[in-house]
Amino acid sequence: MILKSMKLAVVFMFVLFGTMNAFALDEGDATAKQVVEKFQSDLIDVMKDGKKLGYAGRYEKLKNPVSNSHELTKIARIVVGKEWEKLSEEQQQKLVDVFSQLSIASYAHNFKDYSGESFVFDSEEETTRGGVVVHSHFLIPGDKSVKFDYMLKEKGNSWRIINIIANGVSDLALKRSEYTTILQREGFDVLITKINEKINNYSKQ
Amino acid sequence: MNRLHKGNRSVKMQHTFSGLLIVVALTLGGCATTGDVAHQAVVNKTDPYENVNRKIFGFNDSVDNYVAEPVSNAYKWITPQFMQTGVFNFFNNLKNINVVINDVLQAKFSQSVEDTGRLAINSTLGLGGLVDVAKHVGLEQNEEDFDQTLAVWGVPQGSYLVLPILGPSTARGIPGAVFDAAANPVSYIGMPVQLLSMLNARASAEGALKFIDEAALDPYVFTRESFLQWRNNLATDGKAEASFDIDDLEDESLDGDNSAAFSQDSSGDAHTDKPGFALRLDEKTQKIEQVSYSFSSVAQSFDATAKSFEEAGNKLDKLETLKRRR
Repeated sequence: MILKSMKLAVVFMFVLFGTMNAFALDEGDATAKQVVEKFQSDLIDVMKDGKKLGYAGRYEKLKNPVSNSHELTKIARIVVGKEWEKLSEEQQQKLVDVFSQLSIASYAHNFKDYSGESFVFDSEEETTRGGVVVHSHFLIPGDKSVKFDYMLKEKGNSWRIINIIANGVSDLALKRSEYTTILQREGFDVLITKINEKINNYSKQ
Repeated sequence: MNRLHKGNRSVKMQHTFSGLLIVVALTLGGCATTGDVAHQAVVNKTDPYENVNRKIFGFNDSVDNYVAEPVSNAYKWITPQFMQTGVFNFFNNLKNINVVINDVLQAKFSQSVEDTGRLAINSTLGLGGLVDVAKHVGLEQNEEDFDQTLAVWGVPQGSYLVLPILGPSTARGIPGAVFDAAANPVSYIGMPVQLLSMLNARASAEGALKFIDEAALDPYVFTRESFLQWRNNLATDGKAEASFDIDDLEDESLDGDNSAAFSQDSSGDAHTDKPGFALRLDEKTQKIEQVSYSFSSVAQSFDATAKSFEEAGNKLDKLETLKRRR
């Protein structure tokens, strides 16, 4: 009897361990394509509930999907270019914080409702230096579809989005030009004030 | 919808500049007095006239605030939606004459057949272009213009220029725009139709301009970068992959001091200089390479014209000081 229950317990443990293991694999070793598709489906879900959730609700719901799929720290760093080195550690942290908030806020603001939009996966390719580009497009009923290319880099054993190119316009390059220009012309404090203004405006509409 | 609007915005913005292009050419000619204004410190390779450009950008912005936007809002308020759509379709359809010509000039023959079909269907079944029937048959609107044709022929993009009233362009964009205006029937019709065309352009740009307002930290840089990237993407039909960009950007910011780093700022420029059209074309035939050389000198002379821009900037400065004195 004891033996039998022990056997059961062992089997049970194996099963449990097995599923846990499988689960861990699923979370950790997500391919670039999986990361992108998970994020896109989260985004569509939020859009579907968009009106009901309101801005604050969308922001809360998108917080994790955005930070888990985008490499926000690295993006913030690339976006200020060489100026990064000149910032104090405190400033760097501040920049990463407000930049992350801005990224989530702009998703929450711009993807506010749903009228049958969907993402379609096209293809996946490896770049020369170990990155992956996931090509997809965003279908909008009654309008021209928009090409979305996601650039991902490996982080640990998972992949993270580092740049989004929409119809050939690179978000990273665009932001980088803006941020470095402001840093050079007006300085760090103005940059942070401007970002906060944007976040504030997004939350009002 | 962050990214989405970017695309739409640019497309719509293009309508805004395509209206009055000949006028600009004339205006520019007017400013083209020979002046040797000392070059300012160049921050961005593609935008050597940033100071002047910024002033004109500011000027355009106030014109838009005080004139174009109110008029366009009035137009939108009094015109029923179906009429607005009809007006948009009508002008869009006429633009397809241009698209077909440029398809042929770029040797995109199968696309030119499609676009001719589009023009024919909309002009007949679509009641002279008022209804976009072709869209429902699966013929998508293609974006082709003479600036893209010049790019395909290997003409370098040249400097970024902001034109009074008309907005963003490049040294290559100006002759392109003149050609496009010449090939568009609207240019030859009387004033009321052109006025309607301009109203339509501003009304369609509404969403785009609002998006810039919302998203841009520095509207001038935002407009410049998205304009250049979008034009570059159109000229290469989406084949100019920004894939390499990110690695470069990353290296630059992580490695710290690399003095060559600045040159990469806007991808439009990077592509014409490095893995760009001229290079790609001359791999195929020697002939095209030579053509592109003769064109580059043409572009240079346009660049020289652009220098007179700085003069225009000084004039603007004078205006401002005059205003302040009063």
